[in-house]
Amino acid sequence: MTMDDRVSQGRMRIRTRGKSAAAMTALLLIVCLLPLFIDNPYWMHIIILTLIYIIVAVSFRAIAISGQLPLAHAAFMGVGAYVAGTASTLLEWPPWLTILLGAVSAAVLGGLTAYPFARLRALYYALASLFLGMAINYAIIAPRQWTGGRPGLSGISALFPDSRILFYFLCLALTLFSLIALYRFEHSRIGTTMKAIAQSHLVAGSVGINELFYRILAVVVGCFFSGLAGAIYAHYNTVLSYTSFNLMATLWIVLYVLVGGITSFAGPIIGTALLIIVPEAFRELRDLVPYISAGILLLVVYLMPQGLVSLPRLVKSWFRDRA
Amino acid sequence: MSIAPPRPGESGAGSVELIVGTIINVLVASSMFILVALGLAFIFNMMGILNLAHGAIYMIGGYVTYALAVGLGLNSWMALLASTVIFALFGAFLEKYCFRPFVGNFDAAVMVCVGVTIVLQNIVNNMVGNKVMSIPRFAGGIFKVGLMSVSYERIVTFAIGGLLAGIMIWFVRVTKLGQQMQAIAQNREAAFLQGISVNRVQSLACAVGCGLAAVAGSLMGAYTNLNPFMGDDMLANVLMLVIMAGAGSIGGVVLVGLVLGAMNAVLPVLLSGDYAQAIYVAIVVIILLFRPQGFFGHEA
Repeated sequence: MTMDDRVSQGRMRIRTRGKSAAAMTALLLIVCLLPLFIDNPYWMHIIILTLIYIIVAVSFRAIAISGQLPLAHAAFMGVGAYVAGTASTLLEWPPWLTILLGAVSAAVLGGLTAYPFARLRALYYALASLFLGMAINYAIIAPRQWTGGRPGLSGISALFPDSRILFYFLCLALTLFSLIALYRFEHSRIGTTMKAIAQSHLVAGSVGINELFYRILAVVVGCFFSGLAGAIYAHYNTVLSYTSFNLMATLWIVLYVLVGGITSFAGPIIGTALLIIVPEAFRELRDLVPYISAGILLLVVYLMPQGLVSLPRLVKSWFRDRA
Repeated sequence: MSIAPPRPGESGAGSVELIVGTIINVLVASSMFILVALGLAFIFNMMGILNLAHGAIYMIGGYVTYALAVGLGLNSWMALLASTVIFALFGAFLEKYCFRPFVGNFDAAVMVCVGVTIVLQNIVNNMVGNKVMSIPRFAGGIFKVGLMSVSYERIVTFAIGGLLAGIMIWFVRVTKLGQQMQAIAQNREAAFLQGISVNRVQSLACAVGCGLAAVAGSLMGAYTNLNPFMGDDMLANVLMLVIMAGAGSIGGVVLVGLVLGAMNAVLPVLLSGDYAQAIYVAIVVIILLFRPQGFFGHEA
């Protein structure tokens, strides 16, 4: 079978046997049984946040594989969060409806703005979306009577306010759903087409690929999941502040993805987990915590520029060189 | 940045005063933006790296001036000078260890710049916390013309800013070193082949850029208060400035700086704060959609 045949059949390439399947099953078991081992509510909180940001990071990468760097991603998370939040506080809609609404709003806004942006090449797209993120952020806080303005939005109804464990399982389910959906998206024919566009838009165009359509699709899908994560966050935190979705927030998401490695699906997951959990592990050191994050960053940049997923490869080649 | 209220002793009520006050705010805002933007533009033009740490350098430049002026009791001007020199050296250090290895590698450059920003912001945040601080004035007193009065502080701020901007334009266009910088910005390899010492010139450009940011931070630290996160706002504005001006043009930075400073000072008068900001950034985005290479850039 040639490569073309495989692609045209759109086969999903999850291995169903072998080492990585066993590893994944084990990981899944650990993650599902986690609440039994962790009594500390603060750590449950950290893990829930990690799950939410994993969705954001992986959806960032989903857009990035089409060759577009969506530096407005945190702003779209904010759109999902604020739409869900205001629907909950002003309209008093139930959480499942507001979360859906938040995700869809982010996707729609993403699609509308992606259309004019799709003509821009790499760096210019990145910069324009960076400023778009800033504009969205200001636009969110401007209507003070609906969104609470700079002081923030509070009073969002909480899902499972009495049981963090129940919320954890809901969050876990949504995260797994998002991961599976994004994985299948990337490894489907659509995903392969997007990667082709990223590699060379001229060649892709010459074989009849509609670049505009696929680029907008990538953004719509990525923003949907980002908005979903934001909406979940809104109902978890019950309080929203615009500083959670500003330029620095987007840069942190970029860092989660880059530290893990942008070339692999697991990269953003590893990067997010590392950059959220490790600094928290050193919480006692209080003042030194930001330096730990910075330290991880600088370590990765100077030693493993391809991200942490490249670590096994680097170690192997280091051993090979010594032999 | 919003319109600063009149200083003690200044008049501020009538509509003539409002117009003149607005013009002065525009000049102050523009000159500060231009100073910081020139530094960012140097680094971006020559190395293709967007120095996301530039806002943090602006901020910590102001804090070091404060520390020297208040902690060591130096005259404000001496503190300013010392801080500028310190950060020029820091700029050279940054260039060698943080920028030079990553020329052309956008991802890595972003990581390093954010890392530096985190370190600088947290050093200051941990030492200062929530205290409100402001650098002792560079020039006291009020300047009176007819019924109008303006504090010398404002005049000094925009005068220094304008002077430095003018010196930079002269430097880049007239001096040999400046022309070497232009050459590197236009085509690195060709400049290298011509015998220009790219590393040395780059280092100097970075040093000058960071020094300028420190000056701006010190001037703003005297004009308003210092705050560990003032760099974030400034970085956002300056990024817009540099991208709109386009890669490779210094005069363009000044022109666009004046326009953006004007928009920044005038829009909040017409609309309420956050709406003004949203529209301001939206206008920038729309302009970039139609002309992504900026107004004066030389590449497409």
